[in-house]
Amino acid sequence: MLPLSIKDDEYKPAKFSLLLKLSGWIRSILADTTSRNLFFFLCLNLSFAFVELSYGVWSNSLGLISDSFHMFFDCTALLAGLAASVISRWRSNDSFSYGYVRAEVIGGFVNGLFLIFTAFFIFSEGVERALEPPDVHHERLLPVSVAGLLVNLVGIFVFQHGGHGHSHADHGHGHSHSLFNGSAGHGHAHHDSHHGHAHHDSHHGHSHGGHAHDGHGGHEGHAHHGGHQGHSHHDLDDERRLGSSKQILQGVLLHIMADTLGSVGVIVSALLMQNYNLMIADPICSMLIAVLIGVSVVPLLRESIGILMQRTPPSLERALPECYQRVQQLEGVYNVQQPHFWTLCTDVYVGTLKVVVAPDADARWILSQTHNIFTQMGVRQLYVQIDMAAM
Amino acid sequence: MACAPNRVRLMCMLSLTFAFFIVEVVVSRITASLSMLSDSFHMLSDVIALIVALVAVRFAEKTQATDKNTFGWIRAEVMGALVNAVFLTALCCTIVLEAIERFTEAREIERPQVLAGVGLAGLLVNLLGLCLFHGHAGGGHGHSHGGKKGKGAKSHRAGNGTPGETNNLVGNHSSSTDACQTDVSPKESSEVQINGGAQYEDVDNEHNTSSQLNMRGVFLHVLGDALGSVIVVINALIFIFVWQPCNKDELCVNPCIDSHATDHYHGNHTLLDLRGSPTAASAKMAGPCWVLYLDPTLCLIMVCILLYTTYPLLKESALILLQTVPKQINIHRLNERLLNLDGVLAIHELHVWQLAGSRIIATAHIKCHDPTSYMEVAKRIKDFFHNEGIHATTIQPEFVTFSSESQDSLCELSCRTQCAPKLCCGAGDKKAAGDLRAIGESPEPAAVFLVQPQVIVTSEVESSL
Repeated sequence: MLPLSIKDDEYKPAKFSLLLKLSGWIRSILADTTSRNLFFFLCLNLSFAFVELSYGVWSNSLGLISDSFHMFFDCTALLAGLAASVISRWRSNDSFSYGYVRAEVIGGFVNGLFLIFTAFFIFSEGVERALEPPDVHHERLLPVSVAGLLVNLVGIFVFQHGGHGHSHADHGHGHSHSLFNGSAGHGHAHHDSHHGHAHHDSHHGHSHGGHAHDGHGGHEGHAHHGGHQGHSHHDLDDERRLGSSKQILQGVLLHIMADTLGSVGVIVSALLMQNYNLMIADPICSMLIAVLIGVSVVPLLRESIGILMQRTPPSLERALPECYQRVQQLEGVYNVQQPHFWTLCTDVYVGTLKVVVAPDADARWILSQTHNIFTQMGVRQLYVQIDMAAM
Repeated sequence: MACAPNRVRLMCMLSLTFAFFIVEVVVSRITASLSMLSDSFHMLSDVIALIVALVAVRFAEKTQATDKNTFGWIRAEVMGALVNAVFLTALCCTIVLEAIERFTEAREIERPQVLAGVGLAGLLVNLLGLCLFHGHAGGGHGHSHGGKKGKGAKSHRAGNGTPGETNNLVGNHSSSTDACQTDVSPKESSEVQINGGAQYEDVDNEHNTSSQLNMRGVFLHVLGDALGSVIVVINALIFIFVWQPCNKDELCVNPCIDSHATDHYHGNHTLLDLRGSPTAASAKMAGPCWVLYLDPTLCLIMVCILLYTTYPLLKESALILLQTVPKQINIHRLNERLLNLDGVLAIHELHVWQLAGSRIIATAHIKCHDPTSYMEVAKRIKDFFHNEGIHATTIQPEFVTFSSESQDSLCELSCRTQCAPKLCCGAGDKKAAGDLRAIGESPEPAAVFLVQPQVIVTSEVESSL
């Protein structure tokens, strides 16, 4: 099919129809498992937040109101994940020659930043309450935090059960774990402390740090970077979808876990205070939770920052020098210069290379050999520049 | 080196700003003023921006490629800008929530004189910062901070001037650091006779545009700071002159503060006591209630201004991180002009993206007849890219094989069939490759087709930009 005009490649939905756009978005959200899960969980969270808000307004409890605000804040994290998962599936166009796949990494990164911010806030709130212990009212907040805990557990179940791409960067396998833990629940029992303070009081960091996956037994569809050649298209589609949501899901999962631990911590500290009158339990819980959240976010942040900074992919790091050696041993090759390998999105690597060859060398052969060497490692887009050495 | 004074100034401003941030937080706790609190947050974000700028200056100077970071640390400034923008947005959300809470439960400001004093001090520090960075506005810092959210603390302001300037790192820093040190790649390329050595000639243009961007960013930032401090001072003054507080020793009622919503109470606790008291009618009433709502209202206005000025920064850094084609480059035209060069049969996989600031990187597969003609074509291609302002290019040559005379547009190195299904964004490439076979000999339609392979595929996913 020949293009009818130069502009034919820019087929875009009619801009004037907002409804059309919205329906398009909804359709694309529902098409993919990850975004569908995120969307439904977001709706669940929002409704819970609204219920809590209305209950708080009706009963005039400032604690409940501020807790519901905190839930809304968490919903924005879910929203960011959802937006990232939708955007990353858009087709590439003139302005985005690689497509929008980086959106997933940015989504995970932004989620991580929000979590750090949350942890910082909880910590400062804890410090503030430790210095000036306020009156803490628990009667209305305990059932709310229990309900929030349940919502969170639903989220954990949904997202851990849902998508999975596993990747252990250190093993160099090319497995990507998508930890989607939609931070469900915010069941924070909001301790009424002084003034309108931020609502992250009962956040609990979760000790999730080392990607301890319990229920990841039956995951198929792992991307093995050993021998890509023979993959069927369907298999690759699965890999692609799973792999590409890894960052988002990890961020969302961390968020849900943080909320879950928050609820648990609130319940624990409430019990401690009611039964043993340990007023100090509340701020200590908050600070502990904040530290846990901060610590658990670090792997996600490190990975996203590495990708965004165009860092050499950790899974390729060890194998690359050996590849350079092999290229240099090709007949006619003098030198390998300026290698740049970076990650476009999860499991997709791009590389550029300059090879200095003798003037009489067989450029074609060198090119195809070089391509073979690097394709075996999983670099999908390779640009090899041939420079003839001056004699 | 010309960059050292930058660093000294940044350090100065950073310590000053941080000190004022601490002061403001303490004062906001003492006076229970929301605008002061938001001002202190704004100052904190300024501190972060300054730290980011410092890190960017430090790291950008070492552009040596390491094994892990082959591009050096240049992206750090873009990341810093993104972090700062996200942080500001989160702060804005927090302030909004606190303001809403203040609306439901109004609170008095205590010791408004302290508030006014600290605010004025902040304004002075801001002006000082502005003077300090005035001469270096082009030196690589533009901060599109803008709009502080009703910072109560004037001391804020001082800090805001400087950090503001450090923010539009994206455009500015790379240009300044380019001037500061020589780039690594020209040295490498001169060692071997490489077709088309790269020279960094037209960095000057970049300097001008980015310094203009910087100035504008700085101006916006300072304006926002000024606005924030002014609002805080206004708030404090109105409170001083209009509000009639309840003194502790006299009998008075504060009608603005509801008793049911408070668990912790600053002001007078006499409301409940007086409710049933017979002397209630003769008790003095505390000052006009609308004064108490002025604080959160002004904060909301400041939040809006802040968000409005932060949005461009956020968008710009996010776009760069998404590997977008830089705005000033028209891929269509680039493609056409490349095809018009002698010896170029076809172009595949053309990608142009921005590393940071003025560093643009391009990669492409160029199809030519044979290796000997490639030598000349390569130099011409490199020069062409240099004229466009793209100095780091990697061109992979593809040579025509005997059997595929009529299939100019297919990638010679089975990259298409092998790589296409594995591209995370290019499931459409496979189908497009099939379509390409139907193209005739002339390269022109092939080129047009090249840029739209993915779009031929029908899918429910639309790119709605």
